[in-house]
Amino acid sequence: MTSRKRRLPGELVFVLVALLFALTALWQSYRIAGLASWSSPGAVPMLAALVMVVAAIRIALTASRRPPPAQVPGVTRAAAFAQALLPRAVVAFTLLIVLYMFALDPLGFVVSSFLFLVAGMWVLGSRRLVHNVVVSALSLAAIYVVFQTAFSVVLPGVLGAC
Amino acid sequence: MPEAVSYFFMSWANPYLLFLTAAGTFAGIYVGAIPGLSVTMAVSILISFTFKWHVNEALALIAGIYLGGVYGGARSAILLNIPGAPSAIATALDGYPLAKRGEAGTAIGLTTVMSVLGGFLGIAALAIGAPMLSDLALLFAPRDYLLLAIWGILLVGSLSGESLAKGVFAGALGVLIGMVGLDPMTAEGRFTYGSVQLSAGIPYVAAMIGFFGVAEVLVQLHQLGVTPIKQNVRKIVPAWGLVKKYLPLSARTSAIGVCIGALPGAGGDIAALMAYDHAKRTTKDPSRPFGEGAYEGIVAPETANNAAVPGAYIPMLTLGIPGDAVTAVIIGALYIHGMKPGPMLMIETPHLFWFCVGNLVLANIFLLPMGLSGIRIFAKIVETPKAILLPLILVLSAVGTYAIENNPVHVYWMLGFGLLGYFLKMYGFQVGPVILGIILGPLIDASYRRAMISVADTPLDFLAEFFTSPISAILVAALAFTVLSQSRAWSAFMGRLRGAPAH
Repeated sequence: MTSRKRRLPGELVFVLVALLFALTALWQSYRIAGLASWSSPGAVPMLAALVMVVAAIRIALTASRRPPPAQVPGVTRAAAFAQALLPRAVVAFTLLIVLYMFALDPLGFVVSSFLFLVAGMWVLGSRRLVHNVVVSALSLAAIYVVFQTAFSVVLPGVLGAC
Repeated sequence: MPEAVSYFFMSWANPYLLFLTAAGTFAGIYVGAIPGLSVTMAVSILISFTFKWHVNEALALIAGIYLGGVYGGARSAILLNIPGAPSAIATALDGYPLAKRGEAGTAIGLTTVMSVLGGFLGIAALAIGAPMLSDLALLFAPRDYLLLAIWGILLVGSLSGESLAKGVFAGALGVLIGMVGLDPMTAEGRFTYGSVQLSAGIPYVAAMIGFFGVAEVLVQLHQLGVTPIKQNVRKIVPAWGLVKKYLPLSARTSAIGVCIGALPGAGGDIAALMAYDHAKRTTKDPSRPFGEGAYEGIVAPETANNAAVPGAYIPMLTLGIPGDAVTAVIIGALYIHGMKPGPMLMIETPHLFWFCVGNLVLANIFLLPMGLSGIRIFAKIVETPKAILLPLILVLSAVGTYAIENNPVHVYWMLGFGLLGYFLKMYGFQVGPVILGIILGPLIDASYRRAMISVADTPLDFLAEFFTSPISAILVAALAFTVLSQSRAWSAFMGRLRGAPAH
């Protein structure tokens, strides 16, 4: 990330959420052992959370001094945020990952990974379906063989049953 | 000493370790060269796969990947003008102009020989310097570990990030994540909220793969459309005269590489840029003007970044403090394998040190023939479109995370950290300090409390010791310098340094 003049869309909100998180962490660390002693189990968590609070305030101040993101007429702030931080490819791919994770257990490694690879390549713009299917199948076969033999990794059941 | 020799040659004599080192180096060249695959990413994923192996086997593979990967970045920098790894950014400045002149083969040959040379000089520094540092490290008190750990996190946070505040925030976040679970001293739960899952702590391999694998993939989705340009490569093995001519320069830039690499937190990318700058300032009569295909402009960064690899091993093996992001991940691996990285590592397990040295030498030897061959297939593989590559990285990340404990919950952690890492990266935070914080957090916690208990919970005595003990005082000074170096005057100086090679 190079230095830039303007704030990114959503940057201020992100920094404020980070500050809120740091404050919550500070309170939660306090609840571990209170201020009973300087060497209590809660001491380092509290110090770390305190450092986070101070750093977050500093970051928030720096961010607030920057000019706000460039406003294009007709584009709402939510849309500008989505464009900069959540382009279509990122959203679609993240959704696919979530689906993949939930499919991993019931469908098993081979089926779910195959479906994920084919769909993932398609979503990211590789439009040659047959090519995608062949590449997915070959690489999965390679992964499966290498991992079962060389790494002796127990992959989640082939068809989900085992 | 004879024992050291036998450990040194362990990976040479054992066919399986020999194979793993060779395979690692070979794979590393491609990992480093393919834009989108990074050594940190590959090593994080590999740690989960190799977790059932013997520690030597895992280290042999990782050393190969690390050394090969740092070298491999140069190939795509020269052929495609896309540095495959951050440590090859400086190489592209003169490497690509050379390729455009039709000298891609010579450039690749020269960088290969020089990388190997830099690697050897770096390993020599590791073999000589680490035992000396290790003797000193024995004198360290708990508060010194505390200072070292904080210094390491600060250096990673300050040298690579956008601002010190963001690095500090990320580091502290990591320390906090590292605290989750049962307190080892009192067996009290911290941030566990009655959950059995959480009392075991947050699985840090899932965090590593999330931050370095998933988050990186998501960031790269922003640049899907970049297509590389093909180059013709013929003769690769460089003429001896050419190599001989640049030996003095390469010795100097290797020294720069080792020193920067050994500094906690600063890795091959910074070493390569500083070496390029050094070459530019000291070479009176370059083969061509810098930026238009000067041989000096590829020799300097390539020796430096490979010398930085063994350099980064020095603080890792002697102090348990990582020299860069990859060694941070390797430290995580050592913990998984039941080792305790820190000043006692070389005393309790001297074989590990000599094994690492011997293994790096071996990987460096493999680098030479592998670097000088296979260019034709190489071009094909490097051109793998990201639309194919990124889903594959994700499958490997998911399987790797799952494999640690056959626990699907870890995969959810991975995705959670991946999304967090994505937003952190997009808003200019580095994820390296978070990982470092997670790994060093327990060390910070234990050292702080031991130091505090030893002065009977009196904060003033605790603070006074930082200045009365010489070792602590030096570390405090180093810490202070790191913070001060973030001031405007210093960053203007560094800006000139970094701006210079890029014109």
